[in-house]
Amino acid sequence: MDKRDADSVKQAIGCPMSRRKFFRCLAAAGALAAMPGGLLRPFDAKAGKIIYEGDYEIYRNACPRNCYDTCSIKSYVKDGVLQFIEGAQASTFTDGGLCVKGYAYTRRPYSPDRIKYPMIQDGRGSGNWRRISWDEAMDMIAKKLVEINDKDDSMLGLGLTKYSGNFGITNYAVEGMMTSLGYTTRLVGTPCWPAGIDAQNYDLGDMWCNDPEDMVNSRYIILWGANPAWNSVHTMKYIYAAQDRGAKVVCIDPVFTQTAAKADVYWQVDTSMDGALALGMAKHILDKGLFDKAWVDANSVGFDEFADYLRNEISVQWAAEKSGIPRQQIVEVAEEFATAKPATIWIGYGLQRHVNGGATVRSIDALAAMTGNVGKTGGGARYGHMRTWGFNYHALLQKRPEGAKGFLGGKGPKGDFDFSGDEEAEYTDRALNINKTAEMLLTADDPPIRVLWISCKNVLSQDFDRPKMLEAFKKPELIVSVEQFFTQTVELSDIVLPVTTLFEEHTINASYWHYWLSVNEQAIKPMYEAKSNTEIAAALSARMNKLKPGSCTFPTKVDTRQWMIKEFNQDIYDLFGIDSWEDLKKGPAKAKMHPASWHDLEFGTPSKKYEFRSDLCAQHGHQALPKFKAARKPYDKLRLLTPHTKFGIHSQFINIDWMEDFNKKPYCYLHPLAARERGIGDGDQVRVFNKVGEVELEVKLTQNVPADVVMMYEAWFRNNAYNCQNVVDDTSSDMGKYKTGAPGVAIHDQFADVEKV
Amino acid sequence: MNPDPITNPLGPALRDFFISSDASGHKRAYLQISEALQNPLPRVNDWRQVEYAFTRLFVGPKSLEAPPFASVYLENEPLVMGPTTMMVRSVYEMMGLVSPWKNALPEDHVSLELDAALVLEKAAEQGGSAELDELRQFFVCRHMAAWIPAFVKRVSRAESAHPAIVRAAALAGQWVENQAVLINTQRNQHLKQGGWNG
Repeated sequence: MDKRDADSVKQAIGCPMSRRKFFRCLAAAGALAAMPGGLLRPFDAKAGKIIYEGDYEIYRNACPRNCYDTCSIKSYVKDGVLQFIEGAQASTFTDGGLCVKGYAYTRRPYSPDRIKYPMIQDGRGSGNWRRISWDEAMDMIAKKLVEINDKDDSMLGLGLTKYSGNFGITNYAVEGMMTSLGYTTRLVGTPCWPAGIDAQNYDLGDMWCNDPEDMVNSRYIILWGANPAWNSVHTMKYIYAAQDRGAKVVCIDPVFTQTAAKADVYWQVDTSMDGALALGMAKHILDKGLFDKAWVDANSVGFDEFADYLRNEISVQWAAEKSGIPRQQIVEVAEEFATAKPATIWIGYGLQRHVNGGATVRSIDALAAMTGNVGKTGGGARYGHMRTWGFNYHALLQKRPEGAKGFLGGKGPKGDFDFSGDEEAEYTDRALNINKTAEMLLTADDPPIRVLWISCKNVLSQDFDRPKMLEAFKKPELIVSVEQFFTQTVELSDIVLPVTTLFEEHTINASYWHYWLSVNEQAIKPMYEAKSNTEIAAALSARMNKLKPGSCTFPTKVDTRQWMIKEFNQDIYDLFGIDSWEDLKKGPAKAKMHPASWHDLEFGTPSKKYEFRSDLCAQHGHQALPKFKAARKPYDKLRLLTPHTKFGIHSQFINIDWMEDFNKKPYCYLHPLAARERGIGDGDQVRVFNKVGEVELEVKLTQNVPADVVMMYEAWFRNNAYNCQNVVDDTSSDMGKYKTGAPGVAIHDQFADVEKV
Repeated sequence: MNPDPITNPLGPALRDFFISSDASGHKRAYLQISEALQNPLPRVNDWRQVEYAFTRLFVGPKSLEAPPFASVYLENEPLVMGPTTMMVRSVYEMMGLVSPWKNALPEDHVSLELDAALVLEKAAEQGGSAELDELRQFFVCRHMAAWIPAFVKRVSRAESAHPAIVRAAALAGQWVENQAVLINTQRNQHLKQGGWNG
């Protein structure tokens, strides 16, 4: 745009016609209502009232992303248009504020880049897209589903991959839709936190963290592999408050994060050696007699065996060598941690994304337990919880069509968010490991995955071994993506269906961290032709039943508000101290739970005690005790870390214009020593490469990363082909299968080298 | 250009072109545009290619190469449903009209604006009023004329520019420019004649 254009623009925006003048005009224009255009139509009562001034309509929403904070949001709407949002004041956790990503939410429904209509791509990856109607889209998909069912005599050729893109409870309608079509194939497990979930289940009998708001009561806080300054900003205020009250904060992380900068002590641990560090601390606490004998005697099993292991096989010096943390520092922090009561550890998800991740979490749990910090306010080995997720799962729990056939002999899919219960049936769905999606798509047979349905997930940006994934995506006969933006996954889909944003649908949101519950009201009409996942399921069911009556049990018409209401039950009302879901329209509610998990010391393990020795863990092929487990052997010169960026949640948000202002393109980060060895200067274009593949991008030199590390953030950029999964393989972590259906992935046990291009 | 704005079907054809949803719609509108011109448009052999280019430019699912919304050209940040869309909505309300896609499709979509300009043109031909004249002057001469040229330029420079679409966009730009000239001429005549007498 040249200067002349720009001046015209300014003139046009600074409209000289005041509202008052407009009103005068209106009377004169009355005649025009009798002569509508080809598109515009007369304004009548049906069109609603004209809003000129006055109050905003206020709605309750909640951030449904895969984030600790799951913020309660207040949305302000005028004439059907979202104007701005703020954090709900009613939640002491959200406390009236949102994060940098949350404040950008208003950009989401109104981005011109939003996927607007159902579209079909003529030739996968060709970029030749056509707009189609919902009827046409549903017809194409339904015909294909009928075809594969006829061919295979089951729906197992239909595969679903869905994860955390939208945690709103009604979005389980996607799984419900699958069930309503028959026995299908599900990519199960979680790339996020599975090893730690299993570890906590072996030790404690469930994953259940203290209320984060209770962290203010802690006298000593270890933030172990967690970066809340970026990824849980609302928890930071409790950490600061504890600090103000004299608590010491220790941050342990291979990367000097923003959280590390706020801590009193920072330990740059050698990546994946956190277990050794925890065991070294445990050994010193044991040697000094600083463990809580009364607690372990009363509430645990296997402590003596654990103590023997520490005495015989662990030394602080060994831990110092393994972890890179000086012996004296380990001793000091161990003593402080053991004597400051209560003391707590926040176990981040990054440290369990290793081949020894589950074992590491067990070692850290043991540290909290042996010092008597489990079951206490201000204490706890905090990881996450699902205690506030007791909904009806009405959208999820659908019936199979009569006569549906499925997988024989399996136990069916499980998952961290599996709420399907333990229904015994002749057939089950076929479960494939979500963390090896590429491999599964390539090798699943009899039948192969003929149709892949993707919702709430950006497979091409988030799943591992992307070169293999590109091959795998050639295999299905039809790939359907349900999305808001043109991700790399949509790029390789045949049909894309536009899905609603959080402001355009009714749902409910609970957190896996804090104890609050929020209702998410539909605040605005869906833009363009977007539909919610529930409506999409209904539309598909209508078409299926038209083509082949009885082929889909999902209701063909849904009132999404009613479906949101159907998720509530008396237990939820009792837990949150509300009489009706409508109370949540006044603001979020907090569960009436004790702030300390395991406060009654009734553990969920087979022994009902804390299990330093877990026979179940041993039965599952792991070590019974929280012993050290060796790290993955390096397969290249530098360790590759791909953690979360400040400007996104996994692949979400980075494409939003306000985020782009601060984070225009990806970088990799290298220590000056590693750079010097390779003749690399700050700002050089480099190639990060390994046996999996390569990524080319600009390098920033920083001492925030260790000298043996190359780091880049996981991300999807709108106008950049960057993809860190080009250099991440799908090697499993040790644990995860027990509770989430599949082991996790050793995301941070990756290696690579860097060279200047 | 046909000097008779009422009977000239060019405006409606351009409006229909930019809101058509598939190859057959593009073709129908293009042929109507061609018929409205004294020099017919070049023949298009493969309408599917026009459709692919049209979606890349104006529909998606990829980032739009030339978003068809005034907001994108008139505001500092790339967003719809903000001040520009709301201003255009209020212009339609002034006219007693409303978009059938209110709160689903931004009112500042090029086709809706062309439609409003056509309604204002028709109203002026049927007598008009000082207020409508002022509204039309503002909407077409100042608002549309401020962004349509930038839109036309963006279409012509886009990676996926297809000759048929570039031509249609250029014609839309020309149409708005001609309307602006016509409006100013008519306005000056009215002023010379002592203003509106209604």
